[in-house]
Amino acid sequence: MLIEQYATYIGEGNIEEIKAVAEPLKGLKVLHVNSTRLGGGVSEILYRLIPLMRDLGIDAEWQVIKGDEEFFKVTKKIHNLLHMPGHDKLTSEDIITYMRTTHANLSYIDTSPYDIVFIHDPQPMGLIVNKRQGQKWIWRCHIDISTPDEETWKFIEMFVNAYDAIVFHIAEFAKEGVKIPKFIIAPSIDPFHDKNVELDRNFITSTLEKFGIDPKRPIVLQVSRFDRLKDPFGVLQAFKMVKRACDCQLVLAGGYASDDPEGEEVYNEVMEEASKMKDVFVLNLPPDSHYEINALQRAATVVVQKSIREGFGLVVTEAMWKEKPVVGGNVGGIRRQIVNGFTGYLVNSIEGTAYRIRQLLINSEMAKVMGRNAKERVRHTFLITRQLKDYLVLINYLINSDHIQR
Amino acid sequence: MGEFRFKSEVWTSEYTGIKANTIHAFLKALRHVHEDVIYYHLYRNIFEFHYLPLDYANSFAYWMAENGYYVLAEKLSVIDPLQYTSLEDIRHDIIRILEDSGEDLDVLCSKPFYFIRAVRMAVDLNIVAKDLESFVNGLKKIGWHSLFYHLVTARLKLGKPINDFSLWFESIGEIELAREIEKVNLWAHTLREVKGQLISIVERKLYAH
Repeated sequence: MLIEQYATYIGEGNIEEIKAVAEPLKGLKVLHVNSTRLGGGVSEILYRLIPLMRDLGIDAEWQVIKGDEEFFKVTKKIHNLLHMPGHDKLTSEDIITYMRTTHANLSYIDTSPYDIVFIHDPQPMGLIVNKRQGQKWIWRCHIDISTPDEETWKFIEMFVNAYDAIVFHIAEFAKEGVKIPKFIIAPSIDPFHDKNVELDRNFITSTLEKFGIDPKRPIVLQVSRFDRLKDPFGVLQAFKMVKRACDCQLVLAGGYASDDPEGEEVYNEVMEEASKMKDVFVLNLPPDSHYEINALQRAATVVVQKSIREGFGLVVTEAMWKEKPVVGGNVGGIRRQIVNGFTGYLVNSIEGTAYRIRQLLINSEMAKVMGRNAKERVRHTFLITRQLKDYLVLINYLINSDHIQR
Repeated sequence: MGEFRFKSEVWTSEYTGIKANTIHAFLKALRHVHEDVIYYHLYRNIFEFHYLPLDYANSFAYWMAENGYYVLAEKLSVIDPLQYTSLEDIRHDIIRILEDSGEDLDVLCSKPFYFIRAVRMAVDLNIVAKDLESFVNGLKKIGWHSLFYHLVTARLKLGKPINDFSLWFESIGEIELAREIEKVNLWAHTLREVKGQLISIVERKLYAH
């Protein structure tokens, strides 16, 4: 069985527990719907979660909504406005576009045979209008909607209230006043994904050499797309401070989409800044560079994720899984992953970032211990098997909830 | 000789929608929330192993520290759930500590507290032990949740200040083994490590027989 492969990482006992939780759900029809089959954290998890659910006897399926460029422009706008109010507003034309595409998808995606329907993010959430009696619908919200643009929220709210539950990454992301049950389930990583599998030492070395990085000297690494909210400029400044005391290299690895002009602008600015400094490597990698990123993370001495604002930031967990101490911004989901002083450090400033990087570079034994702690924390809390278990408990709870006194 | 049934209890987390911005609001909510909220905030840290920064032992204490109430954070940290057999007793003790604190309870906290409830689900693993040998075999087959259930949660279920394994060992006359198991420190080790320790304790006894 596929699920049993994970015993390598969490032991057979935990696999048996998952099977026991899934036992009452055998034969249940479960549908996951999102907006893309490729790219992004949601599809990455579903790619593995669906076969795992099927492996446990659950009749799980995954469907993807269709939409044209105009529709996805509107949903991107909704996404941004749910995240925080901006200059933009949701217009009546946007609402018509959203409803028209939703209507088209209602005939394309037949939700009626399923007992449980998971809808991921705002794009497909309008499908709820097809909810039939006896079904349980769950909205898996992957973004922080605690302070949304109120007009956009009002539009979304009419769909939200028809769901049986919402799932957030952390409680802080929940919108106050929502009456339906709100569950907190953190995202996870798959140890069998190309980004996380064990790598041959020679591949790691040759990857470093390919980019001109010295494998023999300490490496400070931040992996993130080129975005001001990831604060690459803050990392560069912190590195300048560290460099005065330690001989080390900085790698900023990431990318930007071809249709993301701001990403290109940030990348160019970072390149310009980095060109004035020694031992800084700015790598603009294609989105499928999983093995390269994996190799860089495994080669790093200290990993940094100095975000100013963050959804969950699973790249932190990816580095922790590779036994790296992580210095992360004290924001969003990063606060849930790093245990300050035990698996790495949470920082609030450029100076704090520099201080903690330096501390970890100087105390290599301490960095090793933290790295080991970090891996254990991920094994326990942030692997896909934990997320699967959470979903199974949630489904069990919802299908029995009509009989539960709350 | 009575048999031992290995069980488990898994859970997920539900945000109650109750958010407190003052100790006063926190206290008011604490008096009424479901006891599985107390279970979540007090016990999860033992399960997760260092879910919270090490300075404080539970999320109530951590919240106090985040808002500058360091004395209260220490007083709440010393509450050891393993010493309790009732969640209501824990609730009572926390309320007493806060009421006696002498702090101005209405000062607005910079960071709110989110009350979360553990949605718990009991599971029978269909593993039964009749003697030490089948017990150690059973132990090898169970996961972290089952271990946690028998070592920690069973105290609440049975209302007895001892773990489930030790209770069974006592019932079959293995008093020394019962004591050794009870001595394993859950705060100092991950459940993975604890499992290994338990297996070696029982195997040592088994092979000495």
